[in-house]
Amino acid sequence: MGICDTISEKVQGGRAKEVVALINQALEEGIAPDTILTEGLITGMNIIGQKFKNNEVFVPEILIAARAMNKGLQTLKPLLAKEGIEPIGKAVICTVKGDMHDIGKNLVKIMIEGQGIECIDLGVDVEPARVVEAVRESGAQIVCLSALLTTTMYGQKDVIDALKEAGLRDKVKVMVGGAPVTQAFADEIGADCYTLDAASAAQAARKLLGK
Amino acid sequence: MSYPKWIDKLPSEHKPMPILSFPSAPLMGVSVYALTHDANIQANGIVRVAQETNAAAAVTMMDLSLEAEAFGCTLHTSENEVPTVVGALVTDEDEADELEIPQVGDARTGLYIEAAKKAKSRITDRPVLAGVIGPFSLAGRLMDVTEALANCICDPDFVHAVMRKTTPFLIEYAKAYKAAGLDGIVMAEPLSGLLSPALEEEFSAPYCKELIDAVQDDSFAVIYHNCGPNTPKMTDSLSSLGASAYHFGDAVQLEEILDKMPSDRVVMGNISPAKQFLGGTPDSMAQAVKELLEKCAGHKNFLLSSGCDIPPKSSWDNIRAFFRASEEFYAE
Repeated sequence: MGICDTISEKVQGGRAKEVVALINQALEEGIAPDTILTEGLITGMNIIGQKFKNNEVFVPEILIAARAMNKGLQTLKPLLAKEGIEPIGKAVICTVKGDMHDIGKNLVKIMIEGQGIECIDLGVDVEPARVVEAVRESGAQIVCLSALLTTTMYGQKDVIDALKEAGLRDKVKVMVGGAPVTQAFADEIGADCYTLDAASAAQAARKLLGK
Repeated sequence: MSYPKWIDKLPSEHKPMPILSFPSAPLMGVSVYALTHDANIQANGIVRVAQETNAAAAVTMMDLSLEAEAFGCTLHTSENEVPTVVGALVTDEDEADELEIPQVGDARTGLYIEAAKKAKSRITDRPVLAGVIGPFSLAGRLMDVTEALANCICDPDFVHAVMRKTTPFLIEYAKAYKAAGLDGIVMAEPLSGLLSPALEEEFSAPYCKELIDAVQDDSFAVIYHNCGPNTPKMTDSLSSLGASAYHFGDAVQLEEILDKMPSDRVVMGNISPAKQFLGGTPDSMAQAVKELLEKCAGHKNFLLSSGCDIPPKSSWDNIRAFFRASEEFYAE
């Protein structure tokens, strides 16, 4: 088994310290950072992401795999930047204004980052203006909006309206999700995409980027 | 393990038992904030729902911020939504060990017991059940949900330390409802529905069983609610809890659950609160109820319900359509 396969396994197992150690070893062996990222980290997240979609592993396992991947990514980031390796896209993600729930958002962020998409996480209770600013500053192609409450779900529409007003609506694809959100609601507010779960969101994001 | 036998008769009476309490707010022209902060208004809400519907039992407010607030958690409140816990109260095992267990009556728990007692004195045609959070779901609120889930793997001792605080409090809290004359509790443990079966068996089941063993008897029921998506894999563990009945959400196929759960315990569910009660129409609700009953009514232990707590802004046209569709199905 090659070292990238081992890194992938350790990501899947949530072994953050071992992931970092193996990455350093791989770099010493002359393996390119981009290769370690793709064949080690992203492959590992893809495998466990598919297992999550298939109900073979569950939220805790995904959370620790994500932490391992992020630790690995922190190690690789400066080297990737030096080589001009870019993520395949950028997404701004948040829970909308008035809503403090973050577990759904966090899971979507994990799965999207696992696809090699850079996520700008604005947190919870986010004003539409902040989303607009983040899109403008980052050049993100995707906006992911989470709402877990019936009284906050229309905050997703507020963000879409704010993007229109800012002249950015046609520059981004807006994805929505959360417990009270449905396809019908997504259509009503003019979102580009609705997904039921985090794994589907990641695949949809990739598709929206044309990858 | 004994439990109230009136529960076993419910399926044959064909009256649904939705988790229906917060939509009393718009019916009475009050805010959700008022409903969750005033015992008289809350009691009126529980009674009003009983007057408006033919539900098999009345359920008090399923406010999953309540017990966490008693421990000292910070809440985010708004006029028309149930309060939400923000942040984490404990961040490691030492803090969990030092965490003080609150008294029953602390924060708004006293208000809720008072409201339930008042409602019980006024509702005489059906059982009255109190909404109470389950021990692992409460731990999630004290630790931050994401941390609770991850630490089941990374720091299990931390999680168990928190469980040793949540469980004794919830036992005393449930006993207080029993002393107030209620017929039982609906214990909501949705967070454990995100775990693997193995982690559920370690971090939720033993504590739920401890609670059930401490309070349930032939006059006081514990109905176990879990709207998490992984419950079909957990049915052996859940069955062993010995709850009076079980309530499942719309993330699962209820007919699959019914095939796996013991047939001598009532299994309830699972019309979607978001898709039907909130976002549906009377016609879509009627269709959803009909489809569910066609799949599940053949099971003698099945009782129609919502998949979870019905949101405050749900349409009463949809709620009435839910009851009407059930009546029409069983009349045929």
